[in-house]
Amino acid sequence: MLFSQARKHDVVSTATATRVARVEGFVVRPGPARVALLRLGKVSGAGTLLAWDDVQGFGPDAVTVATDAALRPARDELEQRAEDNELDILGKLVLTERGTALGAVTDVDFDPETGAVTMLITKAETIAGDRLIGLGRYAVVVLS
Amino acid sequence: MTSSSPDPLVRARELTGRPVVTLGGELVAEIKDIVFESSGGYIAGFTLRNPGLFSRSRKESLPWDGVHGVGRDAVMVPDETVLLPTKEFAPRKQARNRDVLDDRVLTDNGQDLGRVVDVVLQGGTTLEIVGYEVEASEALGSAGRRVLIPLPDTIAVSGENLIVPSSATDFVSEDLAGFGAAVDAFRARLREGTN
Repeated sequence: MLFSQARKHDVVSTATATRVARVEGFVVRPGPARVALLRLGKVSGAGTLLAWDDVQGFGPDAVTVATDAALRPARDELEQRAEDNELDILGKLVLTERGTALGAVTDVDFDPETGAVTMLITKAETIAGDRLIGLGRYAVVVLS
Repeated sequence: MTSSSPDPLVRARELTGRPVVTLGGELVAEIKDIVFESSGGYIAGFTLRNPGLFSRSRKESLPWDGVHGVGRDAVMVPDETVLLPTKEFAPRKQARNRDVLDDRVLTDNGQDLGRVVDVVLQGGTTLEIVGYEVEASEALGSAGRRVLIPLPDTIAVSGENLIVPSSATDFVSEDLAGFGAAVDAFRARLREGTN
Protein backbone atom coordinates (compact mmCIF):
# COMPACT_ATOMS: atom_id res chain seq x y z
CA MET A 1 0.00 0.00 0.00
CA LEU A 2 1.21 3.52 -0.78
CA PHE A 3 1.40 6.29 1.81
CA SER A 4 -0.67 8.41 -0.57
CA GLN A 5 -3.43 5.77 -0.42
CA ALA A 6 -3.19 5.24 3.34
CA ARG A 7 -3.18 8.88 4.41
CA LYS A 8 -6.47 10.22 5.71
CA HIS A 9 -7.52 6.72 6.79
CA ASP A 10 -9.80 6.85 9.80
CA VAL A 11 -8.47 5.27 12.98
CA VAL A 12 -11.34 3.31 14.51
CA SER A 13 -11.53 1.82 18.01
CA THR A 14 -12.92 -1.71 17.88
CA ALA A 15 -14.01 -1.39 21.54
CA THR A 16 -16.42 1.46 20.80
CA ALA A 17 -16.71 1.26 17.01
CA THR A 18 -16.08 4.99 16.83
CA ARG A 19 -13.55 7.03 14.92
CA VAL A 20 -10.86 8.21 17.33
CA ALA A 21 -8.42 9.90 14.92
CA ARG A 22 -7.29 10.23 11.34
CA VAL A 23 -3.90 9.25 9.85
CA GLU A 24 -1.90 12.37 8.97
CA GLY A 25 1.56 10.96 8.44
CA PHE A 26 4.02 8.13 8.83
CA VAL A 27 7.17 7.97 10.91
CA VAL A 28 9.69 5.74 9.16
CA ARG A 29 12.73 4.30 10.93
CA PRO A 30 15.69 2.63 9.27
CA GLY A 31 17.37 -0.68 10.07
CA PRO A 32 15.22 -2.40 8.84
CA ALA A 33 13.10 0.26 7.15
CA ARG A 34 9.63 0.21 8.65
CA VAL A 35 6.72 2.38 9.70
CA ALA A 36 7.38 2.83 13.42
CA LEU A 37 4.58 5.25 14.26
CA LEU A 38 1.56 6.87 12.71
CA ARG A 39 1.10 10.59 13.17
CA LEU A 40 -2.54 11.43 13.81
CA GLY A 41 -4.91 14.34 13.40
CA LYS A 42 -8.49 15.00 14.48
CA VAL A 43 -7.69 13.48 17.86
CA SER A 44 -9.93 14.11 20.87
CA GLY A 45 -7.25 13.55 23.54
CA ALA A 46 -3.64 14.69 23.86
CA GLY A 47 -1.98 11.74 22.14
CA THR A 48 -1.24 12.25 18.46
CA LEU A 49 1.01 9.23 17.91
CA LEU A 50 0.12 5.60 17.40
CA ALA A 51 2.88 2.98 17.58
CA TRP A 52 2.81 0.43 14.77
CA ASP A 53 2.76 -2.34 17.39
CA ASP A 54 -0.54 -0.97 18.72
CA VAL A 55 -2.21 -1.11 15.29
CA GLN A 56 -4.69 -3.95 15.23
CA GLY A 57 -5.29 -3.89 11.50
CA PHE A 58 -4.27 -1.68 8.59
CA GLY A 59 -7.03 -2.25 6.07
CA PRO A 60 -7.79 -0.74 2.69
CA ASP A 61 -10.34 1.62 4.27
CA ALA A 62 -9.44 2.10 7.93
CA VAL A 63 -6.92 1.51 10.66
CA THR A 64 -8.22 -0.29 13.73
CA VAL A 65 -7.00 -0.13 17.32
CA ALA A 66 -8.29 -2.07 20.35
CA THR A 67 -9.00 1.10 22.30
CA ASP A 68 -8.28 4.82 22.07
CA ALA A 69 -5.83 4.32 24.95
CA ALA A 70 -3.34 3.29 22.23
CA LEU A 71 -3.11 6.93 21.12
CA ARG A 72 -0.32 8.56 23.06
CA PRO A 73 1.97 11.60 23.16
CA ALA A 74 5.69 11.53 22.31
CA ARG A 75 7.82 9.60 24.79
CA ASP A 76 11.31 10.72 23.83
CA GLU A 77 13.14 13.34 21.81
CA LEU A 78 12.97 11.37 18.60
CA GLU A 79 9.23 10.88 18.93
CA GLN A 80 8.84 14.55 19.75
CA ARG A 81 10.62 15.44 16.52
CA ALA A 82 8.35 13.01 14.69
CA GLU A 83 5.30 14.58 16.29
CA ASP A 84 6.55 18.01 15.19
CA ASN A 85 6.69 16.64 11.66
CA GLU A 86 10.46 17.15 11.31
CA LEU A 87 10.99 13.59 10.20
CA ASP A 88 8.24 13.17 7.63
CA ILE A 89 9.79 11.25 4.77
CA LEU A 90 7.54 12.66 2.04
CA GLY A 91 9.14 15.53 0.17
CA LYS A 92 12.54 14.84 1.70
CA LEU A 93 15.71 14.76 -0.39
CA VAL A 94 17.23 11.32 -0.96
CA LEU A 95 21.03 11.20 -0.77
CA THR A 96 23.21 8.18 -1.33
CA GLU A 97 25.91 7.48 1.24
CA ARG A 98 28.33 8.75 -1.41
CA GLY A 99 26.62 12.13 -1.55
CA THR A 100 24.61 11.93 -4.77
CA ALA A 101 21.04 13.22 -4.72
CA LEU A 102 18.32 10.97 -6.15
CA GLY A 103 15.46 13.46 -5.92
CA ALA A 104 12.73 14.01 -3.35
CA VAL A 105 10.53 11.26 -1.95
CA THR A 106 7.10 11.51 -3.58
CA ASP A 107 5.58 8.34 -2.14
CA VAL A 108 6.44 5.23 -0.14
CA ASP A 109 5.21 1.68 -0.59
CA PHE A 110 4.79 -0.37 2.57
CA ASP A 111 3.41 -3.72 3.66
CA PRO A 112 0.22 -3.05 5.65
CA GLU A 113 0.62 -6.43 7.40
CA THR A 114 4.04 -5.77 8.88
CA GLY A 115 4.75 -2.07 8.41
CA ALA A 116 7.90 -2.90 6.44
CA VAL A 117 8.87 -0.19 3.95
CA THR A 118 9.36 -1.91 0.61
CA MET A 119 10.02 1.01 -1.73
CA LEU A 120 10.86 4.70 -1.70
CA ILE A 121 9.58 6.47 -4.79
CA THR A 122 11.08 9.62 -6.31
CA LYS A 123 10.27 11.26 -9.62
CA ALA A 124 13.19 9.56 -11.31
CA GLU A 125 13.38 6.15 -9.69
CA THR A 126 12.23 3.63 -7.13
CA ILE A 127 14.59 2.68 -4.34
CA ALA A 128 14.34 -0.60 -2.43
CA GLY A 129 13.36 -0.03 1.19
CA ASP A 130 16.26 -2.10 2.50
CA ARG A 131 18.69 0.54 1.18
CA LEU A 132 17.45 3.08 3.74
CA ILE A 133 20.08 3.76 6.42
CA GLY A 134 19.16 7.17 7.80
CA LEU A 135 16.34 9.66 8.04
CA GLY A 136 16.89 13.11 9.48
CA ARG A 137 15.55 16.60 9.18
CA TYR A 138 17.59 17.31 6.05
CA ALA A 139 17.63 14.09 4.07
CA VAL A 140 16.89 10.43 3.61
CA VAL A 141 20.16 8.52 3.27
CA VAL A 142 20.35 5.28 1.26
CA LEU A 143 23.11 2.82 0.47
CA SER A 144 24.79 3.50 -2.89
CA MET B 1 23.67 -0.40 -11.47
CA THR B 2 24.82 2.98 -10.29
CA SER B 3 27.40 1.41 -7.98
CA SER B 4 29.49 0.22 -10.94
CA SER B 5 29.74 3.66 -12.58
CA PRO B 6 33.07 5.45 -12.10
CA ASP B 7 33.38 7.86 -9.22
CA PRO B 8 32.59 11.42 -10.25
CA LEU B 9 35.28 13.99 -10.89
CA VAL B 10 34.94 17.30 -9.13
CA ARG B 11 36.86 20.56 -9.07
CA ALA B 12 38.00 21.37 -5.54
CA ARG B 13 36.59 24.90 -5.66
CA GLU B 14 33.16 23.53 -6.49
CA LEU B 15 33.10 21.81 -3.11
CA THR B 16 32.75 25.17 -1.37
CA GLY B 17 29.20 25.52 -0.12
CA ARG B 18 28.45 21.83 -0.47
CA PRO B 19 26.35 20.56 2.47
CA VAL B 20 27.91 18.23 5.03
CA VAL B 21 25.29 15.62 5.93
CA THR B 22 25.37 12.74 8.43
CA LEU B 23 24.36 9.22 7.44
CA GLY B 24 21.43 9.86 9.76
CA GLY B 25 20.24 12.58 7.39
CA GLU B 26 21.08 15.66 9.46
CA LEU B 27 22.68 18.76 7.95
CA VAL B 28 25.81 19.61 9.96
CA ALA B 29 27.52 22.42 8.09
CA GLU B 30 28.73 23.59 4.69
CA ILE B 31 32.21 23.25 3.25
CA LYS B 32 34.09 26.52 3.52
CA ASP B 33 37.56 25.66 2.27
CA ILE B 34 39.71 22.72 1.40
CA VAL B 35 42.77 22.10 3.55
CA PHE B 36 45.65 20.54 1.66
CA GLU B 37 48.38 18.55 3.35
CA SER B 38 51.55 20.61 3.41
CA SER B 39 52.99 18.18 0.85
CA GLY B 40 50.29 19.41 -1.54
CA GLY B 41 49.39 16.00 -2.91
CA TYR B 42 46.61 15.10 -0.51
CA ILE B 43 43.58 16.58 1.13
CA ALA B 44 43.80 16.94 4.89
CA GLY B 45 40.18 17.95 5.29
CA PHE B 46 37.80 20.86 5.16
CA THR B 47 37.07 23.99 7.13
CA LEU B 48 33.37 24.57 7.68
CA ARG B 49 30.77 27.26 7.95
CA ASN B 50 27.17 27.22 9.08
CA PRO B 51 24.63 26.61 6.35
CA GLY B 52 22.71 29.53 4.94
CA LEU B 53 23.08 32.92 3.42
CA PHE B 54 24.68 34.81 6.29
CA SER B 55 26.82 31.91 7.34
CA ARG B 56 29.51 32.09 9.96
CA SER B 57 32.71 30.11 10.05
CA ARG B 58 32.63 27.16 12.39
CA LYS B 59 35.24 26.49 15.04
CA GLU B 60 35.26 22.82 14.04
CA SER B 61 36.79 21.34 10.92
CA LEU B 62 36.25 18.07 9.14
CA PRO B 63 39.41 15.95 8.92
CA TRP B 64 39.67 13.77 5.84
CA ASP B 65 39.51 10.49 7.78
CA GLY B 66 36.11 11.57 9.11
CA VAL B 67 34.63 11.74 5.60
CA HIS B 68 32.43 8.86 4.46
CA GLY B 69 31.86 10.02 0.88
CA VAL B 70 32.17 13.04 -1.37
CA GLY B 71 29.50 13.31 -4.02
CA ARG B 72 28.02 15.74 -6.48
CA ASP B 73 25.41 16.94 -3.99
CA ALA B 74 26.82 16.43 -0.50
CA VAL B 75 29.80 15.49 1.63
CA MET B 76 28.71 12.59 3.83
CA VAL B 77 30.00 11.93 7.37
CA PRO B 78 29.07 9.11 9.78
CA ASP B 79 27.94 11.58 12.45
CA GLU B 80 28.86 14.90 14.01
CA THR B 81 31.49 13.40 16.33
CA VAL B 82 34.04 13.27 13.49
CA LEU B 83 34.42 17.06 13.56
CA LEU B 84 37.50 18.36 15.36
CA PRO B 85 38.32 21.79 16.73
CA THR B 86 40.13 23.60 13.93
CA LYS B 87 43.00 24.41 16.31
CA GLU B 88 43.74 20.70 16.79
CA PHE B 89 43.11 19.78 13.20
CA ALA B 90 45.41 22.29 11.53
CA PRO B 91 48.10 23.10 14.07
CA ARG B 92 50.38 23.97 11.18
CA LYS B 93 49.01 27.24 9.91
CA GLN B 94 50.82 26.61 6.66
CA ALA B 95 48.54 23.65 5.99
CA ARG B 96 45.74 26.08 5.42
CA ASN B 97 47.73 28.69 3.60
CA ARG B 98 50.10 26.59 1.59
CA ASP B 99 47.89 24.94 -0.91
CA VAL B 100 48.80 24.29 -4.50
CA LEU B 101 46.73 27.04 -6.04
CA ASP B 102 48.85 29.41 -8.09
CA ASP B 103 51.82 27.04 -8.03
CA ARG B 104 53.69 26.48 -11.25
CA VAL B 105 53.45 23.09 -12.95
CA LEU B 106 56.77 21.98 -14.44
CA THR B 107 57.44 18.84 -16.43
CA ASP B 108 60.40 16.70 -15.40
CA ASN B 109 62.24 17.99 -18.46
CA GLY B 110 61.74 21.57 -17.42
CA GLN B 111 58.76 22.82 -19.40
CA ASP B 112 56.47 25.28 -17.66
CA LEU B 113 52.90 24.16 -18.32
CA GLY B 114 51.15 26.96 -16.46
CA ARG B 115 49.77 27.91 -13.06
CA VAL B 116 47.32 25.88 -11.03
CA VAL B 117 43.86 27.43 -10.85
CA ASP B 118 42.03 24.42 -9.44
CA VAL B 119 42.51 20.84 -8.34
CA VAL B 120 40.56 17.93 -9.82
CA LEU B 121 39.44 15.30 -7.34
CA GLN B 122 37.90 11.91 -7.87
CA GLY B 123 35.06 11.45 -5.38
CA GLY B 124 33.35 8.42 -3.95
CA THR B 125 34.33 6.88 -0.64
CA THR B 126 37.88 8.20 -1.03
CA LEU B 127 39.01 11.49 -2.48
CA GLU B 128 42.08 11.46 -4.62
CA ILE B 129 43.79 14.33 -6.36
CA VAL B 130 43.90 13.15 -9.98
CA GLY B 131 44.76 16.33 -11.82
CA TYR B 132 45.31 20.05 -11.90
CA GLU B 133 43.43 22.65 -13.82
CA VAL B 134 46.01 25.09 -15.09
CA GLU B 135 45.96 28.30 -16.99
CA ALA B 136 48.02 27.00 -19.85
CA SER B 137 51.39 28.39 -20.86
CA GLU B 138 52.79 28.60 -24.42
CA ALA B 139 54.16 25.08 -24.04
CA LEU B 140 50.70 23.58 -24.30
CA GLY B 141 49.85 25.46 -27.48
CA SER B 142 46.74 26.95 -25.95
CA ALA B 143 48.19 29.79 -23.91
CA GLY B 144 45.76 31.43 -21.50
CA ARG B 145 43.14 28.72 -21.76
CA ARG B 146 42.25 26.49 -18.88
CA VAL B 147 43.19 22.86 -19.37
CA LEU B 148 43.27 19.76 -17.21
CA ILE B 149 46.55 17.93 -16.61
CA PRO B 150 46.50 14.39 -15.19
CA LEU B 151 48.70 13.47 -12.25
CA PRO B 152 50.58 10.27 -11.55
CA ASP B 153 49.63 8.31 -8.41
CA THR B 154 52.57 9.90 -6.66
CA ILE B 155 53.73 13.43 -7.20
CA ALA B 156 56.74 15.48 -6.24
CA VAL B 157 56.06 18.87 -4.77
CA SER B 158 58.85 21.25 -3.94
CA GLY B 159 58.51 24.85 -2.96
CA GLU B 160 56.45 26.55 -5.59
CA ASN B 161 56.82 23.96 -8.30
CA LEU B 162 54.81 20.87 -8.99
CA ILE B 163 56.70 18.38 -11.08
CA VAL B 164 54.83 16.12 -13.48
CA PRO B 165 56.21 13.64 -16.05
CA SER B 166 56.55 15.23 -19.49
CA SER B 167 54.22 12.57 -20.96
CA ALA B 168 51.37 14.25 -19.05
CA THR B 169 51.16 16.74 -21.91
CA ASP B 170 49.85 13.91 -24.16
CA PHE B 171 46.81 13.49 -21.92
CA VAL B 172 45.61 17.05 -21.46
CA SER B 173 41.83 17.57 -21.52
CA GLU B 174 39.68 20.64 -21.91
CA ASP B 175 36.78 19.48 -19.77
CA LEU B 176 35.95 16.97 -17.05
CA ALA B 177 33.89 14.72 -19.33
CA GLY B 178 36.80 12.80 -20.80
CA PHE B 179 39.33 13.57 -18.12
CA GLY B 180 38.76 10.43 -16.00
CA ALA B 181 39.74 8.26 -18.96
CA ALA B 182 42.74 10.50 -19.66
CA VAL B 183 43.98 10.05 -16.06
CA ASP B 184 43.62 6.27 -16.33
CA ALA B 185 45.41 6.16 -19.70
CA PHE B 186 48.21 8.39 -18.44
CA ARG B 187 48.77 6.27 -15.34
CA ALA B 188 48.72 3.08 -17.42
CA ARG B 189 51.42 4.59 -19.66
CA LEU B 190 53.54 5.44 -16.61
CA ARG B 191 53.23 1.92 -15.24
CA GLU B 192 54.31 0.47 -18.58
CA GLY B 193 57.28 2.78 -18.56
CA THR B 194 58.49 1.69 -15.14
CA ASN B 195 58.08 -2.06 -15.67
